[in-house]
Amino acid sequence: MKPVLETRDLQMIYHVGKVDVPALRGVNISVGAGEYVAIMGPSGCGKSTLLHVIGGMLQPTTGRVEIDGEDLTTMTDAQRTDLRRRKIGFVFQRFNLFPTLSAEGNLKLAERIYSNSKNGGDAARRHEVLKLLKLENKMKHKPLELSGGEQQRVAIARAIVNRPAILLADEPTGNLDSENSTIVLEMLRGLNKEFGQTIVMITHNPEAAALADRIIEMRDGLVVS
Amino acid sequence: MDNLIVENIKQRPLRTAISVVGVALGVILIVLMVGLARGMVRDSAERQGNVDAEIRFLPTEISSAAAANPLMMPARFAEVIMNGVQPTAEDPDLQAKPPIAGVSATTPVGEFIQNSESGIGFEYVDGIDFPSFSKTTRITMVAGRPLTDGKAPDSAYEVIVDRYYFDNNKDVNRQPLQLGSKIKTLGHEFSVVGVYEPSMLARIKMPLHTMQQLLGGAENCTFIMIRTTQPALAKSVKEALESNYPGYHAYLTSEIPALFSQGIRPLEIFLDVVIWLAVVISTLVILLAMYTTIIERTREIGILKSLGASKTFVVMTIEKEAALISALGVLFGFVVSVVGKYALEASTRLKIDIEPRWVLIATVVGIGCGLLGALYPALRAANLDVVEAISYE
Ligand SMILES: Nc1ncnc2c1ncn2[C@@H]1O[C@H](COP(=O)(O)OP(=O)(O)OP(=O)(O)O)[C@@H](O)[C@H]1O
Ligand SMILES: [Mg+2]
Repeated sequence: MKPVLETRDLQMIYHVGKVDVPALRGVNISVGAGEYVAIMGPSGCGKSTLLHVIGGMLQPTTGRVEIDGEDLTTMTDAQRTDLRRRKIGFVFQRFNLFPTLSAEGNLKLAERIYSNSKNGGDAARRHEVLKLLKLENKMKHKPLELSGGEQQRVAIARAIVNRPAILLADEPTGNLDSENSTIVLEMLRGLNKEFGQTIVMITHNPEAAALADRIIEMRDGLVVS
Repeated sequence: MDNLIVENIKQRPLRTAISVVGVALGVILIVLMVGLARGMVRDSAERQGNVDAEIRFLPTEISSAAAANPLMMPARFAEVIMNGVQPTAEDPDLQAKPPIAGVSATTPVGEFIQNSESGIGFEYVDGIDFPSFSKTTRITMVAGRPLTDGKAPDSAYEVIVDRYYFDNNKDVNRQPLQLGSKIKTLGHEFSVVGVYEPSMLARIKMPLHTMQQLLGGAENCTFIMIRTTQPALAKSVKEALESNYPGYHAYLTSEIPALFSQGIRPLEIFLDVVIWLAVVISTLVILLAMYTTIIERTREIGILKSLGASKTFVVMTIEKEAALISALGVLFGFVVSVVGKYALEASTRLKIDIEPRWVLIATVVGIGCGLLGALYPALRAANLDVVEAISYE
């Protein structure tokens, strides 16, 4: 099976003043279509950096990243942004919804970016996503009127409404209590099962990781297992 | 309309209001100042044209000396044009001039421009020879008596004014005008001895002789007004005048309002300054407002970019917001300008013309400056580093 995501000897060195901070020191991972992968590792080992590079938000120092057959590392900034628009969905620890917009407004704005046109987006797709995430009754609410779990579900809906090739989640339950964490994790599981959504999720929580198909362990900028 | 943009505008009502007022200020500046200048010019121009004399005859070169002394044309030409002249024994150097055919009346007029009493704009004063003036124009006295020749010491400092001036001005003691009231013009106090109609040329008229005395003594005038026996003869009289008097130019009165509003250099410079001022104010206000906006919304911009929004999308989002704010500013500016026009016209002697052309210019300036001012913040936002932006607190 052709992988949806593949990295080859990925290195990322941050330059802080005159000091070089190596965050990734040769990462090789491969994620197949429909896989649900958890990334674990101690704080500072380079998990977020890896996710940002995969998502085309950071240009690596050396190495290659292929998303769905497209090589990110040879692209311009604008091309990477466009690839992100077409193929990648992001979910963050802090939800990152637009606070002034309702849940629906957040979704519509994303659809407008995704479709690059004024059409109302894919209504059927929106419907199935909202149904799976149990958000149908929450769409008129603004983020501050929603619980953390609901906000994160809106963020997930926003990330996948465009059917991205891969969903990248950076500690999606990091800001949630255990009850809401469970709900969100179950929904991610369901997304993967029902829509075959490929997911790469960073987590510190072993129970969360246990729900994934596979766990990638990182340490000091390297994959250890 | 884009939800995000509307919500952003509502999010910070005070900042939105300040930006709207800033743009409105530019619009008001243009509409009212230009309107005022043009209204005042039109008002004078109309009075310049509102005479029965078909022709105005004056020196071709209005030299810079004319600015200091507007009396540069021999007043006796008025007489010469009617009757012609031959060299005489006493004055053998006198150039022979034929009488000009088709002329029925002539009158010399001195015209002096001074700063208006209110300090805003300018005001004209005429020096006239009443008997010939009344033959050349349709002036009628509606109160008091006409001007004398002003040569007797006790009648030199007398003026007549038009009905509008009489009804809307105060005398030197800040009392409403009456016959016999004193007003100040050309640095002297004059008694108002009569009221005339209709308004023509300057609102205040004094004896030409008095003006000549006050401006240096020569027996000169600024121009001569000529009435023809039939209006159809105006063109041929004009040609005859110009061929007999080199160095002088005859204008048809009907052309004067147009000439008037064209060539006022200082006014044009003033209006240019006003427009640039408006441009600077509107641009800066929007620049500052949008700059603080993008700083405050750094994270939201990061989110947009993380969703895959292109630079163009980010720039357009911010430009649209600026356009909406500017449009509100332009609208508000017009409302204030129109209210201001009627308030000023009701309470002062100012005339304000709101012309479609200038409304269009003000709209373009207002919205154009909004877009321009937002451009730098928008480009900065578009070029933010996405990872840094989404982790911005
Ligand atoms: N913008 C940056 N500039 C310099 N160094 C950075 C920057 N971002 C991350 N680093 C460094 O790179 C290393 C990896 O950081 P990263 O955020 O990827 O870790 P992480 O595994 O996500 O940690 P955590 O579990 O705490 O989120 C760390 O040493 C961090 O200090
Ligand atoms: Mg991290």
